Amino acid sequence: MNEFSDAQPTSRWRRRFFVLLLLVVVPLAVIGLYLLQRFGGDTPVDYASNEEHFKYGSTGGEHEMGFPYWIWRALPQVCPEHLPGPGYESVGMIFEPGKDVPVGTSKRRYQGVDRVFLNCAVCHTSTVRTDKSKAPIVVTGMPANNFDIMAFQKFFFACAADSRFRKEYVMAEIDRLGANLDLLDREVVYPIAIAIMRERVLTLAGRFDWIYREPNWGPGRVDTFNSAKVIFNFPMDVLPPKELAAPADFPSIWNQKPRQGMSLHWDGNNSLVEERNKSAAFGTGTTPPTIDTGRIKRVEDWLLEAKPPKYPFPIDATLSAKGGAVYKQYCAGCHGASGSDFSGTYVGKVTPIDEIATDRRRLDSYTTELAVNQSTLYAGYPWRFTHFRKTFGYANMPLDGLWLRAPYLHNGSVPTLRDLLERVDARPKVFYRGNDLYDPVRVGFVSNVPDEDGRHYFEFDTKVEGNANVGHTYGTELGADDKAALVEFLKTF
Amino acid sequence: MALRYEAGHRLFKILVLLVVIFAAIGGYIAWDRGFREHPQPDWVHATAEMRFKYGSLGAENDAGIPYWIFYVLPRMFPEKLPGPGGYAALGVPWEEGQELPVGFTKKTIGFPRVGNNCAVCHTATYRTKPDEAAVFVVASPGHTTNVEGFFRFLIDCAKDPRFNADNLMSEINLVTKLDLIDKALYRFFIIPITKKRLLQREAQFAWIYRKDFPEWGRGRDDAMNLTKYFMTKQPMDDTFGPTDMPSIWNLQKYKADQGMFMNFAGDSHDAYSVIMDSALGLLGAPPAHKQDFLDQVAWLHEYLGKLPAPKYPFVIDAAKADTGKEVFAKNCAGCHASARTGTPIPLAEIGTDRNRLDSWNKNAAVIANKVVTDMGLQRKGLVEATLNGYIAAFLDGIWLRAPYLHNGSVPSLRDLLEPAAERPKVFYRGYDVYDPIRVGFVSEGREAQLAGTRLDVSQKASGNQGHEFGTTLRPAEKDALVEYLKTL
Repeated sequence: MNEFSDAQPTSRWRRRFFVLLLLVVVPLAVIGLYLLQRFGGDTPVDYASNEEHFKYGSTGGEHEMGFPYWIWRALPQVCPEHLPGPGYESVGMIFEPGKDVPVGTSKRRYQGVDRVFLNCAVCHTSTVRTDKSKAPIVVTGMPANNFDIMAFQKFFFACAADSRFRKEYVMAEIDRLGANLDLLDREVVYPIAIAIMRERVLTLAGRFDWIYREPNWGPGRVDTFNSAKVIFNFPMDVLPPKELAAPADFPSIWNQKPRQGMSLHWDGNNSLVEERNKSAAFGTGTTPPTIDTGRIKRVEDWLLEAKPPKYPFPIDATLSAKGGAVYKQYCAGCHGASGSDFSGTYVGKVTPIDEIATDRRRLDSYTTELAVNQSTLYAGYPWRFTHFRKTFGYANMPLDGLWLRAPYLHNGSVPTLRDLLERVDARPKVFYRGNDLYDPVRVGFVSNVPDEDGRHYFEFDTKVEGNANVGHTYGTELGADDKAALVEFLKTF
Repeated sequence: MALRYEAGHRLFKILVLLVVIFAAIGGYIAWDRGFREHPQPDWVHATAEMRFKYGSLGAENDAGIPYWIFYVLPRMFPEKLPGPGGYAALGVPWEEGQELPVGFTKKTIGFPRVGNNCAVCHTATYRTKPDEAAVFVVASPGHTTNVEGFFRFLIDCAKDPRFNADNLMSEINLVTKLDLIDKALYRFFIIPITKKRLLQREAQFAWIYRKDFPEWGRGRDDAMNLTKYFMTKQPMDDTFGPTDMPSIWNLQKYKADQGMFMNFAGDSHDAYSVIMDSALGLLGAPPAHKQDFLDQVAWLHEYLGKLPAPKYPFVIDAAKADTGKEVFAKNCAGCHASARTGTPIPLAEIGTDRNRLDSWNKNAAVIANKVVTDMGLQRKGLVEATLNGYIAAFLDGIWLRAPYLHNGSVPSLRDLLEPAAERPKVFYRGYDVYDPIRVGFVSEGREAQLAGTRLDVSQKASGNQGHEFGTTLRPAEKDALVEYLKTL
């Protein structure tokens, strides 16, 4: 009886229920799918050529450290007085035609935000001018002689602490750049991103406060292993003073294959190329869970074989041949048979500090305490670090592409090859770094010009802590003819 | 009706089945991720020395710290460590390339955990000059390890309000990718339980925070008070007697049947008892697997029984040492190479600091022995008597056992041969560069100060008086004697 009369309202209500459900669920699903599509991806910008990938490809650092693209673009205008000049060019970053970000930065869209952060090329690519009138040539794999990473860091730290680092100021500059952000980005994503970025940069600034107590590194140098201590949050204010003020030149990074197993880094504290690479990648913002191992491997593989460019000026073959004999007698044992043949009894080995006698601050900045902590890095992964060792000297390097590796010695304290062959007291006491104009006479970059077209070069004072130009006196007692011949031969590397 | 009942019955059956399946899966996950034991990797047991340095004694069960908490604590709370360097700031011996310091063991019991073994206090490092890599010597006094600093660090971290699941998880997520289950386990169980357990230690460790006691410093621990407060659960008293970590090589020299005893005051009957009691201290609880524990103790007894003392690493003047041997025979052998060796010398005769003696008593020994017996473990155990002296030490490998006397109050052998009034009053312990002139570790100067901890002999339990034997010898005789001691 009741069955029939009950049935109708039930089915009517059921229908109403389904309609209601559709009205609620479908829009929610659409919104959900939209949000997933908008915020769910993790897409780096990739490049077809290996060299472009080196210059602009991702290491994965944008996940943790990436600056939202438009904030990155806007900040030089938000905080111009915290930069030495207009734009990122003023700290020595290289902008190539047609590119919206400089060499050494990569882009990745992650959590719905296009992000920018550094990659290997920022410290390992630079420019050379063979003549004042000629355009600079970009050379990948060479030391980033003009990039002032300390000024770069200080810019972000100062800007984040500036009262203008908030959405009103930043968004205004983003608009001026013509970003055309949509409503969601403008009202939600970017305001949150600005707040998060400010907090993160200020946290980092706290951990890097020791750089304000160090003499300026100037362009082309970084205090590598004090920066590494920041990974472990070492209390930098109680470090023994001898560990600080330890800037080192950015190295060239060509020809990694024959370097495998050699003592790598200036003090030779690691002997595994891949581990050294992952260690350096911390500087590009990577963390063990967020590193992009595939894309790093692409760089790694390319660097195994990458070659330095040939010396672009004429070389006197006769003089060079004479210099080859001098080299063989005085240099080859430690520095290899030639610029491409790295064989030699002491190549890639550490020469004790008392013998090499160069500035020891870089050596002392690396401690056993740091080495053992580094062996906890990548714990739980098959590539946990196991090769870091405290050493007690500096490593003998192969000299491939030597002409591009000026200034010389680990701390870049000697501007040219010819100067390096002078007795310590005859080497320049003050010179200028950051000029990309080449000096084929002394073999190095022009170092006696304080400024050019409004650009001020960095005054390098060898009396400052960490800057001593002492030691490595090999060949300094040679006659002038032999020195000239030797330098001519080194141009062939 | 019958139909409906049957349908309901079937539904009920399915529900029960589902509950059982879910419970079984949940139980399996809980066991797999919380309690399932995995053996340590093969490299740990590749050699006897590796096993001594990194092999688990089972301490990860109760005293263990979950690996990822252990990992991030120094990064989160560096200010609670004595200096820069993470755990290395505690002076723990740490071999380059190793994930954990010597004496720290990693074992997965559900999740990776970190425990300790004997090697943390019984591995020395030394260097013959500052610019060289350290040599690691197992079974040596761990003269660099700051045990008290380690205890305090863990407790201080747990007491900090920032020690919470949110903060720890955000640090852990920076260094590893845990799956959802591990993330949930860490957040809801492992972190809160670890915090609670570490906080419980605060009460047990109350005496290490006493302002009226000096720090143990590197290379010392208040061993008998540790035993008293942990094993016998006695209330805190005012005694304080930190002592040097002893060397534990060549333990077969202690012959219990010839009236010899072990530990500085002869507190224990034999090496087997000392090893078992020390291992129980590391476990902090009855062993989870009794037979495995007994096997470990037996292995250590065997290994340490025969392990020889290390050779002196510098050149020894053989002629001078020969002269010294005669000086030794006349002045030292009576206690250190005779039937008296390994037996107690009354305090009245030896005259060294008495605080260590006062930190232990017969009643504590009786209770401690009962605690161990109640665990079902057999050993001769602690001496149930009132002790009133210190053991005349065997001198094998004495060169590496600096600083000297039971409380480590005299930095070098040469200093020990001076009258108490002329021995150093303040020096630094725990720097590992060796001084072959005075024979001991470098204990003064900038580097020693930076690395070491300050010892002031006027502080409680650190008196450097007594044992003035040989102090009236002529300087040349002292030098010769010290040269001979290098050969032991």
